[in-house]
This record gives sequence, structure tokens and C-alpha cells, in this order.
Amino acid sequence: MADETPGATPEQNSIPTTKVQRSAKFVKTGIKIGGNYIKHYSKKLFNPDLDKSELNEDNAADIYQSLSELKGSALKVAQMLSMDKNLLPQAYVDKFTQSQYNAPPLSGPLIVQTFRKYFGKNPDQIFDKFNIRSTNAASIGQVHQAELNGKKLAVKIQYPGVGDSISSDLKLVKPFAFRMLGMSEKELDVYMKEVEERLLEETDYELEVRRSVEFSNACANLDNVVFPNYYPELSSKRIITMDWLEGKHLKEFLATKPSQQLRDQIGQALWDFYNFQQHELRAVHADPHPGNFMITPEGKLGVIDFGCIKEMPEDFYYPFFSLTSTNLLDNKEETIKAFRQLDMIHRDDTPAQIEFYYTQYKEMISLFALPYITDTFDFSQTAFFDQLYGFGERISKMPEFKQARGVKHFIYVNRTNFGLYNILHELKAKVKTDTFKPHVVLEY
Amino acid sequence: MATIESIQNAYIDYVLTEGEQPKSVYIFAKQNEMSEAEFYQFYGSFEAVELGIWAGFANKTLAEIRAQEVWEGYTSREKALSFFYGFFELIKSSRSFAVYSIKKQPKGFTTPKVFTPLKDIFEGFADEIMKEGIESTELSDRKYFSKKYKDALWVQFVFILNFWINDNSAGFEKTDEAIEKGINVTFDLFQRSPIDNLFEYGKFLVQNGGIKDKMGF
Repeated sequence: MADETPGATPEQNSIPTTKVQRSAKFVKTGIKIGGNYIKHYSKKLFNPDLDKSELNEDNAADIYQSLSELKGSALKVAQMLSMDKNLLPQAYVDKFTQSQYNAPPLSGPLIVQTFRKYFGKNPDQIFDKFNIRSTNAASIGQVHQAELNGKKLAVKIQYPGVGDSISSDLKLVKPFAFRMLGMSEKELDVYMKEVEERLLEETDYELEVRRSVEFSNACANLDNVVFPNYYPELSSKRIITMDWLEGKHLKEFLATKPSQQLRDQIGQALWDFYNFQQHELRAVHADPHPGNFMITPEGKLGVIDFGCIKEMPEDFYYPFFSLTSTNLLDNKEETIKAFRQLDMIHRDDTPAQIEFYYTQYKEMISLFALPYITDTFDFSQTAFFDQLYGFGERISKMPEFKQARGVKHFIYVNRTNFGLYNILHELKAKVKTDTFKPHVVLEY
Repeated sequence: MATIESIQNAYIDYVLTEGEQPKSVYIFAKQNEMSEAEFYQFYGSFEAVELGIWAGFANKTLAEIRAQEVWEGYTSREKALSFFYGFFELIKSSRSFAVYSIKKQPKGFTTPKVFTPLKDIFEGFADEIMKEGIESTELSDRKYFSKKYKDALWVQFVFILNFWINDNSAGFEKTDEAIEKGINVTFDLFQRSPIDNLFEYGKFLVQNGGIKDKMGF
């Protein structure tokens, strides 16, 4: 099993679910990675010029494989890491992005069983038509096509036992995350807790239905953004029923070579969708991976997953987004105050440290805020992204950044915004960025 | 007028309230307003009632899963999975009785008597889907071993039954996972695997590689 290549295993045969089994899986990966290092250094003996990209690739393949066999929350973490392109070497990213598309399906009888458990009926008794083979896999569930009263529906079904295993999964992922990100385990804790909270929320399908309805209503007036209808009466703790949205995923859409105008339109819809939520709702769909969007034949953006919502408290929102306005960022004293509020500069930092972190973070924030500064922004320019990745790479090598800084809210807000930037970059879209402006304060 | 069902229900009710079998058929019949003779029309003893209840679970499960629209499209693997899910969903509502009945069995390697008719039904079903699977080449036809496939499935069944008895998870979700994993692993072994290829390669070498001569056979 372990030697099959990722992607070549269409049917998942067994999911290691007990903690012991999962640990075993990770230990095996650990050993393999050790082996990769040995391989690397023995090759290097003969070829001193060898760079580490082959090693990175080997490691990423092994980690990916062990994660994809684990499914569930571990896969989610893989997805999350793959969003933070600026934090990881390219080889990891390529392998991890695979996890956004392929996860093997569960058996038909288990689907039937899930329905019987929550509705006391078989799926074919509830729907006029129900396709027992899943059409898409989501990391903690899979999607089936169904039909009722002439309407095409998408039915998302969650794997059993996902919620239970999340916490123990994260504990197992931690040493790997630590090794990959170069952070200490203890410091990762705060962040891991934040991730755990979000992931646990994601397993609550009843909550997801409520939020989906709430958010799709709140965002209903945005141009070119569409949402499926949700059917709470056909949903339960582990089942969500919604309209089937026709359309293409980002990759397929781009393969059709869409016109610049169409790409701009989708990009604009994405920008508006995210910034309306961030600045008006103060809570945001924090899972901008391409699998959560569809591009409809009419050229609209379909949003199909509200599992992960990050709420932004005021004491984070104001200091952070005020920094995106040049007026505040040019004022060194106020900027440092904002950094302190965001825990990016610590109380016991020496003046030299304050100066150092101030310079670094200022550079980071001005990079991040670049699209906000002007009225329109062209996301196709690679220079901006090279700068962004370059900066990410540089600070990942600085010993000063080995310790954790910044409040926990950064994880999801960064993931959301950099994820958004990445998608817009892939779209090569030109976007009007002044549609929903951040609310700022100029003094602290 | 007593029926199979009314006797079974009355019996379940009695053992669960009293924690033991009725002292005699006479007492049991009297309590349930029937004559002893009526009882014997259906069952020869209390043990037979219990046997019948378990067999009834299996028959009911089979009737239910076979009536599902998807049934015809299922592979053998899925049919087996479907039986397991259906069975444990069904006995969920009789869990107290199941626990009572199983805990009372002596520990050992032989199948407890109370399961014999259930086992017959199960093996009949297993045999049927195995044959189907071998015919459709879903499963590998191996000399001697393929006849033992159904025994392996029975072992799984007993294992999962015990797992379920001790399962404390909400909605017995862990049992669902045990089924999904256990049955899939079992069927993976039934499928054509590298081991089959290895055997065949060995056979080929023996026949064509001149090994026989060299080894002096």
C-alpha cells in the first residue's frame, strides 16, 4: 500500500483511524524522510553541487502520501499548508496542491448507512435520483449528485469519526509542521489551537448550513457572485444538501483560455466577495482554495463551501487593517503601537529588537497592502508575487522569526488574503480594489 | 393468539426486565396468557426462541438490503458492506437484548449455539456473493482458499459484533469505521494481488525454467 504512488489509488482501501495506526503512519513517514536525507547526503558525497530540491521533493512526496492516506484533518492541514505558498519550498507546494483534488472515496453502503442513521431512510427514498458514486471528494467529506422534483442537487456527506480524530491528528502533524516551518513545538501551540477550533467547526454540518444561508443572504447583492440554495430539512449533522451548481473549477476554467475580460470579471467577483465580508461583515469565508469555487457557464463565481469562517474581533481588525492605509504606516510611532497591539512587537523587546521587527513588519505590511493602496491592481504581475515569496523566504531563514510572533488571528486572515491573491494571480485578473475599502483609524 | 413475533417480543421483554430466562415455559406462557402447548407450537425451548431472534435479525437485514434500489449495482464487496451496516443498524434497537444474549455465552473458539442458525444464513449469503464475485472476476479464484472466503467473513462478523458490544461512541460511529475498514481489508485479500502473480511466476519457472532438471526433480 505504502508504495503506491499518490493519485494512482482511486479506491481507498483502509483509513488508519485509531491513534496508534495514525502514529504508525507518521513514524513510517519520519523514517522515510530520514532515509531521504541519507540518500541526499550520500549523493552529495559524489556530487557536491547537488541542490536540495530533489531532497525536498522526496520529502514532500512522502509526507503527502502519508497525509493523503490519513484523510480527514491531516489532509486539511496539507491543504492549508499548500495555501501558504510563501512559507514553503516549491516542492512541498506542488505535492500538497495535489491533495486539493484527489482524495479516494468511501463505499456506497456507508453512504446508505449514513442516510439511514440520520433520516431513517435510504437515499433513494429521499431523492428521486441519487448517484451512489461520489463525484468529488472534499477533505472531510464527499459530494454526490442527486435529483428531487426535477432539481439537481449536491449532497455532501461527511466521513464518520472525523471530529473525533482531529485533535489527535493535529498532535501528530505538529512535529512535521514544526520541522517544515522551522518553528518550535511549544510556540506552535497557540496557532495549532486556533486551527483545531476552525477544523472542529468545519465538522459541524448543521452549523455550516446555518452559516451558508446567513452568508449567502448577506452577500446576495454582490455582482457576479452566486450561491446554491441550501436545504436544512435535507441536511443533518453529517449531510448537507444544496443546489448543484453547474460550472468549472478554476483549473478547468483556465484551460478553456478565457478572455481577459472574463478573467477580470471573475477576479472582481472574488475580490468583492472577500472584501465585502472582511470589511462589512467582519467575518470571512477563510478557505479560499480553488476547490471551493465554481465558475458558472454565465461567467459568474459560484461559492460552494462555508465550512470555515473566521470572525475578526475589533481589537484585531482595526490595528491590522489600519496599517493598510499609508497615512498610518508612515507614522512610525503609531505603527509601532499597532504592532504592539497585534503582538508583533513584544513588551520585553529591546530597542534594537523593536527597530528590527518594525522594519521587517513594515515591509511585510506594505507588500500586503499594495493592492489596497491604488484603485486598481493588476494581479498578473509576477514581480509582486516574487517580492512576496522572496520576502517570505527571507524571513523564514531569519533566526529572529523562529519564535512565534503575531496574534493567532493572523493564521486565517493571512491564509484568506494570500489565498485570494494567489487565485487572482492564477487568474491574471485586473481588479478594482476600491470597491469595499478597509475601515481604518489613524491613531492609537 | 400467539405468533412467532409475540413470543419473541415477550421473551425479550422478560429477560431484559428480569435479567434471566423464565423459570419454566409454564410460567412464561401463563404470564403471557397462552397455553404451554401454544408455545411449543412455535418453539421447543427458550434457547430456540433466542436462536430464532438472531436468525430473524439476519433474515430481516437481507430482506431490507435486497430491496434497496442500489443493490443490483453493488459489487460483492459492497454487498457485504451493506449487510454489515444493515445488520448493525437493525440490532441497534435491540441492543440490550443483544448484549444480554452475547454476554451470557461461554467464552471459547467455537461458535456459540445461539448463533448457529444465524451463521447458516450468513454463510449462505456470503457464499452467494463470493460466487458472484469470483464469476465477475472481482475476486480471485484460488484453489482451496476461495472456499474459505466465507469463513474469513464470518470471523469478521464475530469480531465486529464484539466490537459493537463494547463500542461507546455516539451513534456507534466507531463500529461504522470498523466495518468500513475490516471488510475492505478482507476483500483486498480476496482480490487478485501480487501474491497470485508470484505463485504464477513460480509455476511458470518450474514448468519452463528447467529448474526441475537442475534441482534434480
